[in-house]
Amino acid sequence: MNIDNTASQMRKGVLEFCILSIIKLGEAYPSDIIDMMKSANLNILEGTLYPLLTRLKNAELLTYRWVESNSGPPRKYFSLTEKGAEFYNELETTWLELAGAVETITGKNK
Amino acid sequence: MKKVININFQGTIVPIEESSYELLQQYIESLRRHFANEEGKDEIINDIESRISELFQNRLKGGSTCITDDDVNAIINNMGRPEDFDEDDNIGDADNTKGQKTKSEKSESFSQSDWSWKGKRLYRDENNKILGGVCSGIAAYFGIDPVIVRIVFIISGIGFLAYILLWMFVPGSNMVENGARKRLYRNPDGKILGGVCSGIGSYFDVNPWLPRFIFLIPFITFIFRWGHFGPLTFPHFLSFSFSPGSFIIYIILWLVIPEANTTAEKLEMKGEKVDMNSIKNSVLKEMQEVGQRVGKMGKEMGEKMGKMGMEAGNMAKEKGADIGKEMHFAARRSSGVLGNIIVTIFKIFMYFILGCIALAIIVALFAVAIVAIGLFPLKDFVLTDGWQTVLAWGTLIFFIAVPVIGIITFIIRRFARVKTTNKLMRYSFTSLWILGIVCFVGLITSVARDFKTFSSLDEQVIPLQNPAVQSLEVVPFQNINYRRIGWFNLEPFGTFGTTDDTAFISNVRIRLIKSSTDSFQVTIVKMSNGNTRRYADTLKSLINFNVSQNDSLLMMDKAITINTTDKFRNQYVEATIAIPVGHHIRINKTFGYGNRVRFGGFWGGNEWYYYNNDNVNDYDFSYGIEYVMKDDGLYTLNGQKSDRNNSDWNDNSSDDNNTVTPPATNNESGYRYNQGKIDSLKDAQEKQIQKMQSTIDSTKSVREKEVQRLTDSLNKAKEEINQKIEKLKSTTFTQTHCQQKYPEGYSFIMHI
Repeated sequence: MNIDNTASQMRKGVLEFCILSIIKLGEAYPSDIIDMMKSANLNILEGTLYPLLTRLKNAELLTYRWVESNSGPPRKYFSLTEKGAEFYNELETTWLELAGAVETITGKNK
Repeated sequence: MKKVININFQGTIVPIEESSYELLQQYIESLRRHFANEEGKDEIINDIESRISELFQNRLKGGSTCITDDDVNAIINNMGRPEDFDEDDNIGDADNTKGQKTKSEKSESFSQSDWSWKGKRLYRDENNKILGGVCSGIAAYFGIDPVIVRIVFIISGIGFLAYILLWMFVPGSNMVENGARKRLYRNPDGKILGGVCSGIGSYFDVNPWLPRFIFLIPFITFIFRWGHFGPLTFPHFLSFSFSPGSFIIYIILWLVIPEANTTAEKLEMKGEKVDMNSIKNSVLKEMQEVGQRVGKMGKEMGEKMGKMGMEAGNMAKEKGADIGKEMHFAARRSSGVLGNIIVTIFKIFMYFILGCIALAIIVALFAVAIVAIGLFPLKDFVLTDGWQTVLAWGTLIFFIAVPVIGIITFIIRRFARVKTTNKLMRYSFTSLWILGIVCFVGLITSVARDFKTFSSLDEQVIPLQNPAVQSLEVVPFQNINYRRIGWFNLEPFGTFGTTDDTAFISNVRIRLIKSSTDSFQVTIVKMSNGNTRRYADTLKSLINFNVSQNDSLLMMDKAITINTTDKFRNQYVEATIAIPVGHHIRINKTFGYGNRVRFGGFWGGNEWYYYNNDNVNDYDFSYGIEYVMKDDGLYTLNGQKSDRNNSDWNDNSSDDNNTVTPPATNNESGYRYNQGKIDSLKDAQEKQIQKMQSTIDSTKSVREKEVQRLTDSLNKAKEEINQKIEKLKSTTFTQTHCQQKYPEGYSFIMHI
């Protein structure tokens, strides 16, 4: 068993949940998302974020609009769709259950 | 000092150092490859490019005059290289391969990325490799177990060369993901002929003379082995151990491998300097590991085989379920479940059919090539020097070899997905092939002209020492009776062995007829074709055909010699042996061997046999069996009658003769024979009667028709007359002066 592997598997599982929850706060630009995650000490490569966003968008969980930018090409601002909001709620329930369960189980070790 | 160029990057002008530009380009290319299987591939790349462009703008606004290597590297580190993605990415390629093992993961990853034909590329799977990762790459491409591919590879003996070729052409999965990767290019800078060897040299990081030497080995050995092999000895022709083989491989490589023209391509060709060390190290490491891996594979393979045997049924069931699941997932991805399945199945069928067609074409072309090569020794005996020889070579090279090479090249390029659409190459291939067609047509017409005319025919009676001998056996002069039997036997002239400039062709036909006298008689007729009558006659007179009698042996040449100066022009000898009634004849078996050779058919007509006008037909016979000539034909010793080679009208006339003088034999067979004859005569008469009847019938019907026609026309005339009378009657009222002037009958005649 590889510790890095297991850890990254764990991170992967919650990545989409985190991104959706950031976007839920309001329209977000990818580098904003990166910054926010960094500030929460959850490092993610930009190159990983873009395909993930595209996938979520293709799954109709996200939508975006173009915003002109004075530094470079226009930016894509992402926001949740209705479906995305539903999806997020489901994930949240799952997460809360999971977090509670994990807390209960691992708490016994302390 | 560095060169700065301006690029238009996502709609903004960016001044960038040239080396940084190369770096950026490589990075984006590596991303493109990484996301090749992704659905929104272009969009993702676009987003990333926009972001990079934005970062560039920030940098430039910060006071930089241009983008440098450091800037690009910093950005790339920020964005992450494709190989870094695997860690974070939840559906990276690494998971895919791992996913093969655990089912739940497999179906998940499957549903999202893997099962799409479009955009799928053949890579060598360097994560699961034994030697070069070719087999595991193929396995990943088709979604099957690599062990199976390996077993197939080893058992079918597709072999080493194919493996090496695939190793070279198929990009490795690791190479692709690194920003700097290595590709096989032809090196235009260090080239001697096509730059293939120097390209291979820089690819494998060796002195270009090493590949050159490998290519030259066959030529060097060729010089030493010249005595043992002809220039086109076939079994060695395609193998690498013989010069044409390596030459062809060189040409194919030349056509398949793109030339490194741009700086980026040249960098790719050599790989980066940093890479070179790492590659060397990794190669050394590989060498050690290969041994271990091979051992492991052997074990694994053994296990697999055992398992496969034991659990074949189980596995089939599981696989079936798996495939069902996979199909289900694949289908669920898009909306049309059934449609997708149908499309998938259809595609598989299409690939299968296309593969079959391609294979058939290749096999056919190879067959043509083999036949052409096999027939090539013929050339000296048929073709005149000069144009015809040139055309023959042109046909061989352009008409046959060019499409073979072209198709092989096409297929390899297809598999390697070489994207460069080289119009020049296609055009040159097509024009070379058209040249080949022209050569072929020219050759055919030119040869046809040489065969156009027939020689004059004259019979030559061979005087026999003792024509009244009781039985005659026809034997060849020398008892050479060997055939060259090789695995590849396509030499019509070689049947009796050839020397360098003479060949034997067994264009001799023996006819057996009934003699009108009571002694044997031998006549021969020689024939030839040629471009003019005179030349055909000359060739005819050059045919050397000997016959001589030695008691009961009639010695005869069984073949004609053809030499390279006089050429083969359908020379042909027909020897007619007239056998007197009651005498025996046997043709030695050796005359039955060998094939008659004849060019003709669509241009020469089919005058293969010469019929003399003696109204006597010849009899079929088998070689090596003794026959006896009787009044009514040729019989074997146990009383079987041989058929006649004949045409109808001759048959009838001889039948008539027989009825006039029936043979006076009283034994049973004679009776039966008589009965048969009478029956056949009856038949003939009946036929005759029928024929006459039918002619009578036909004349009858013709006459009836005639009568019918006459009556019809008469009736018509009658009607017309009536009508006219009617008319006249009506006109008499209006034109009274007419009636006054002429009598009725007169005006009627005038009208007619």
